[in-house]
Amino acid sequence: MATEESERFDKVDWNDLSRSGRFDLSINSIGMLLTALPLTLLGVYSTAFTGPRTATFEFIGLEQNLESLDFFFIFTLLLAFWYLALPLYQNPRMTRYYWKEFKRNRPAVVSLGWLGIVFVGGLVGPLIMDPPQQQLLIGYQPPVFTSVVDTTPATCVGDVVNGRCFGTWQHPLGTTQGGKDVFTMIVYGMTISMQIAFITTTIVATIGISFGTLSAYAGGWIDEIMMRFVDIILSFPTFLMFLLILYIYGAGLGMFIVVFSLFAWGGTARYIRSKSLSISEEEFIKASRISGASTYQVIRGHVVPNAASSIITQLTLLIPGFLLAEAQLAFLGIGDSAVPSWGQLISAGRSDLSFAPWIVLAPGIVLFFTILAFNFLGDALLDALNPEAEAESE
Amino acid sequence: MGFGRYVTARVLWAAVVSLIIVTVTFLLLSAAPNPAVQRAATQAALQGGDPAEAAERARELRGLNQPLYVRYFDFIRNVYTLEWGWSVSRSQPVMEAVTQALYYTAQYSIPWTILTVILGPLVGVYSAANMYSWKDHAATGFAFFGYAIPNFFFGIILLLVFGVWLEWIPITYKTGVPVFSVQNAIQLAIPVFVLVTGSIGAVMRVSRNESAEFQNADFMKTAKAKGVSPLRAYAYHVMRPTLVPLSTTLVGQLLALFLGASLLVEVVFSIPGLGRLTYEALLAQDTNLVLGTTLFFTFVAVIGNLIEDLVFTVLDPRISYDDR
Repeated sequence: MATEESERFDKVDWNDLSRSGRFDLSINSIGMLLTALPLTLLGVYSTAFTGPRTATFEFIGLEQNLESLDFFFIFTLLLAFWYLALPLYQNPRMTRYYWKEFKRNRPAVVSLGWLGIVFVGGLVGPLIMDPPQQQLLIGYQPPVFTSVVDTTPATCVGDVVNGRCFGTWQHPLGTTQGGKDVFTMIVYGMTISMQIAFITTTIVATIGISFGTLSAYAGGWIDEIMMRFVDIILSFPTFLMFLLILYIYGAGLGMFIVVFSLFAWGGTARYIRSKSLSISEEEFIKASRISGASTYQVIRGHVVPNAASSIITQLTLLIPGFLLAEAQLAFLGIGDSAVPSWGQLISAGRSDLSFAPWIVLAPGIVLFFTILAFNFLGDALLDALNPEAEAESE
Repeated sequence: MGFGRYVTARVLWAAVVSLIIVTVTFLLLSAAPNPAVQRAATQAALQGGDPAEAAERARELRGLNQPLYVRYFDFIRNVYTLEWGWSVSRSQPVMEAVTQALYYTAQYSIPWTILTVILGPLVGVYSAANMYSWKDHAATGFAFFGYAIPNFFFGIILLLVFGVWLEWIPITYKTGVPVFSVQNAIQLAIPVFVLVTGSIGAVMRVSRNESAEFQNADFMKTAKAKGVSPLRAYAYHVMRPTLVPLSTTLVGQLLALFLGASLLVEVVFSIPGLGRLTYEALLAQDTNLVLGTTLFFTFVAVIGNLIEDLVFTVLDPRISYDDR
């Protein structure tokens, strides 16, 4: 096997590494700008020039409508692509190393696969599948390979053998009371879950990182005030505050995302602050300072990358909490009833639990596996991205 | 800074935090239209009266026409003197409704807390002692399972299996049974089990990872060399240092779960406790009661965090008071 030609010191293009001008953007930033600009224009067009009931793409004859939440979701997807997926492709050597480390944790690989399915399903599913339709006649169809007494569904889509109605591939996970296909509803719920995951993560990371570095570099009494503010944020009972806001103003999914992410960045800010304080004592920071690096360059080039592994882990472990909170609110029936989330489906099937358990079981198990997958992923990412943590634990 | 000054500062800080939360609550409330006023206006309009006049009368009745700062000071005074007003939907003072509900909440949350606090570290340390054996894997699997399964979903499933199919437990909670009776134990067993599985996972993981560090510490080797029995060695030399970092996360996690999950579990098992009270107040649009229950939970959270910090400093003499 031919050994890989590793990057040699004298071959490094130093001009490429030390970009000096502020307007000298990397390919990632250029790509981000080029894609985010049309999106912003479209967003402005959609909110300012078309009526609330006209679809966004009506001018090219499409029925597809985008809400402000969708625009934000696409924006975070672009961010993830240009600053997460593309850098991994640009640095194949590091990517291979991360993958090698990551692969050792088998449950995490399975989890990544599962989350990939949820991600792709959430993105593509609603585009290729029709929204679930109310069809009262075919309510309570059992899932495929199972059967129920044929008096449970009004009409049985599949075969009726010995007075038992069998499930069909037409409705692989059965149907609800109103005859909506459970599988389709779960796929639509994936979109909601992915929106929650991506948007909250972006908000938490942005606020947490800026607040933490600002606090560390401001120092003195500003630092003290900012950190006490973080204390308050951390001790705020978010779930209850959201209930209160919901009670007073009423709240949809957008409000849920904003409130929960605005109260979740405390831990990230605290961590980034302590990391920047400890790292600014290191020799290599002093060296780069002497060579004339600005504070921004130090933060961008040294502090954030050094803290990245822990931040990513922290964010991965935050997401299941958000998903759970959304499901809980939807289950209580005080969330946004227009949003077809998994919790909504669980609460819809609760009264039929004794004779049609699949309506509750299917979304519940999907939710369980998603939360589990995020937990495994967070654990594995910590090991893969941060070799120091492993060294410490041994 | 001495210990006394640290405690004073910390208590003052807790008071400031609670004041800020109460203030935010007040601002949220005063910025929104009051549902009671709207109801009065709607009723007047339905009966052919003047909705604006009725709304004005309702505002006057509730003192909403006074300037903001007067209402604010009234509000603060009432909150801290525990004058939490009258609950319209239950026709009783809010304070009374809260204490009544607390009676039922305590019945399941006290056994739940005790079980988590005792079993969590024990299983965690046991798991670390048998690291990478099947016992450890089983415990880890259980921890992840309990952590990841949504409490309300787990509750529904268990209720279906044991309540509807097997008929071992009553489907609806009976309030009449005495606290210390077999009947009460049976009907609370499943809610407590659900809550314990939800909270024990995190405790187990933290104590397992923390105690793994102390397994091969020098003082453990010394203890073993001296011939200290394994039980004593683990109890004295591993358990105690493990409990210190654990105590920092324990209270916070239990509180977070208490606030969120107790509401769901009470709704699922129809226990007439605090969570259910909050839920019903929300549905009935009973502002005073919603406020009372949320403030109660908030105060529990603030006081819990305070106690956690104080206990932590007492337990661990290595902490300096200057950089909390």
